[in-house]
Amino acid sequence: MSEPIVRYNNVTKYFDDLQVLDGIDFEIQPGEKVALIGPSGSGKTTFARLLMTLEEITDGTIEVEGDYLWHEQDDNGDLKPASTDHLRKVRSNIGMVFQHFHLFPHMTVLENVMEAPVTVQGRDKKEAKKSAEDMLDKVGLLDKADTYPAQLSGGQKQRVAIARALVMDPKVLIFDEPTSALDPELVGEVLDVIKDIADQGDTSILLITHEMDFAKEVADRIAFFDGGKIIEDGPPSEILYNPQAPRLKEFLERFMNTQSSPE
Amino acid sequence: MWDWNYAFEVLPDIASALWVTISATLVGFVLALVVGLIWTLLIRSNNKIISNVADGIVKFIRNTPLLVQLYFIFYVFPQFGLSLEPFTAGVIGLGLHYSTYLSEVYRSGIESVGPGQWEVATALNFDTRKTWTRIILPQAIPPVLPVIGNYFITMFKETPLLSAITLVEILQTAQNIGASTFRYTEPLTIVGVLFLLLSYPASVALRQLEIRVTERY
Amino acid sequence: MSFWELIVSLLGQGLVITLLTTVLAAILALVLGFIGGLMRLSKNKFIRFIVAIYVEVFRGTSLLVQLFWIYFVLPMFGLRMSALTAAVLAIGLNYGAYTSEVVRSGIQSVDEGQTEASIALNFTRVQRMRRIIIPQAFIMMLPNLGNQLIELFKSTSLVALITLTDLTYQANVLNATTLQTTQIFTALLVIYFVIAWPMTKGMKMLERKMTEGRM
Repeated sequence: MSEPIVRYNNVTKYFDDLQVLDGIDFEIQPGEKVALIGPSGSGKTTFARLLMTLEEITDGTIEVEGDYLWHEQDDNGDLKPASTDHLRKVRSNIGMVFQHFHLFPHMTVLENVMEAPVTVQGRDKKEAKKSAEDMLDKVGLLDKADTYPAQLSGGQKQRVAIARALVMDPKVLIFDEPTSALDPELVGEVLDVIKDIADQGDTSILLITHEMDFAKEVADRIAFFDGGKIIEDGPPSEILYNPQAPRLKEFLERFMNTQSSPE
Repeated sequence: MWDWNYAFEVLPDIASALWVTISATLVGFVLALVVGLIWTLLIRSNNKIISNVADGIVKFIRNTPLLVQLYFIFYVFPQFGLSLEPFTAGVIGLGLHYSTYLSEVYRSGIESVGPGQWEVATALNFDTRKTWTRIILPQAIPPVLPVIGNYFITMFKETPLLSAITLVEILQTAQNIGASTFRYTEPLTIVGVLFLLLSYPASVALRQLEIRVTERY
Repeated sequence: MSFWELIVSLLGQGLVITLLTTVLAAILALVLGFIGGLMRLSKNKFIRFIVAIYVEVFRGTSLLVQLFWIYFVLPMFGLRMSALTAAVLAIGLNYGAYTSEVVRSGIQSVDEGQTEASIALNFTRVQRMRRIIIPQAFIMMLPNLGNQLIELFKSTSLVALITLTDLTYQANVLNATTLQTTQIFTALLVIYFVIAWPMTKGMKMLERKMTEGRM
């Protein structure tokens, strides 16, 4: 097996006195697609937000491509908190798609996708426009390039958000419940786009989701979170059809029940 | 009671002083816009000392009269070797005083931008400066533009205070004319009418802007 | 004089006039503001027009110009008054214009359903305003009214320019006689702050007390 692209070492996270992650070790391989499932409050979102540096790590380390994310080594090889420059350098490998899209409301769809390549990566405007348009074409929204986000449906917004994250060419892309803010009839179009990315790209994916069928379809591996720990971790067939841990069984049973119960 | 001939005689003198009033407003306003933003950023600083000191200064300036601040700048600064022209002292006073109001306006604008925008700026790896200039401020400023415009008009109407530190703007000009002819009615009325003629259309235009802004946000 | 003596001397000579002007002008502004605000909502076009003129004239010209006009021009028309009367009148009229806008928008912000409910309960127009609409509107006006009170208090410093012997006037006199410029104007700023700051805090507290459990 090759070097993992992301490695969590004994990662712990507290919010004040509340422990949300309890010494987690975890690895993601290059190109691997991992789905995170578990009840709300189980720590899966915090787990992903630490990788995006949206929450500060309390204890342990995270490595991205062999570089520490939250730390730097000083001359003696001891770890010290990362400088802003270091954090930004390592963070450039990670991208994220949010539950509530967070498009820039003051920019058109095209400007939303072009903004970071030009401003952050310093790419040439013309060239950035070209790749932004390619990316919009990929998510099927090139015809909306000049509209403002307010005029888009939720599904369209999320597809723009995906294009915006993808154009930065991240090595790892986090999806934080990308369809849970959408009306049911708009979920499909977003899942299709994510499926496409999963199928063609070498991008590693970390997908937090409640869509079990979709997780099964896309993921190489599913990790089940509960109480700040990863309780079980394995291929979808094992996790979904042959669960070992009682908590996982319980979770899946309750989940199947709610799925089949009439609306 | 009211002498039209006299009124037309003094009108040109008063009107020509209008440019002092207007340029004091403009320079003071630019100063207030810039310094106000600096207060806002200092108050938001992670450094507790910086944040508290800036907050304290802003509160002090806001809770004391502009007129007294003008006296302070004009009469106390020279005691420390910093003698200022009436115009400079007046503009600094106006700008500093209103910077504290604008800082509050900026704050409310910035707070109206949701936390998601900050998170996405991090996720797309924006640095702090670019996060402010490209993401946060372009969203924070437009909704508060009408309020900012209102402060511009308010400042314009406060400029007669600069006559107290001997700046010869329109009110002082009218006073001077009145003192030499013992007729205050026409000059002072003209000053009032000039203010009304300039500020009323401006505030009507602002109300239009406000309607447009509320529709959009 | 020591800094402390300066403060005592300023307070002794100017504080009463500053506070008296503040209180009288605030009362006048509040009364004018409520009358103006209610008239602005009248069904009679003419009444609305009259109030609109009052509001736009006093908001559109400068307070200092109004103060001078009342003190220097009105006597030409036979209306002679003391500096205190002129000060209270100018500040009261000026802030009354702003207050009437606060009152108007406060009343307009009360939910339409409240009017409909009072009509359904057969309240008269006056009862409806007094018992139902204004008590609710007042709570929403409080933050703005509080801000205006602070602004009004600060604006009383202008009365020194028509020779009313308030704090600012006394500071100028003291400055001319003692030449302790730095200490005098520092003391003056501190005095204004020490009065205005608790006022700001007090209005915030009142606001919280009034809204508690109601909004």
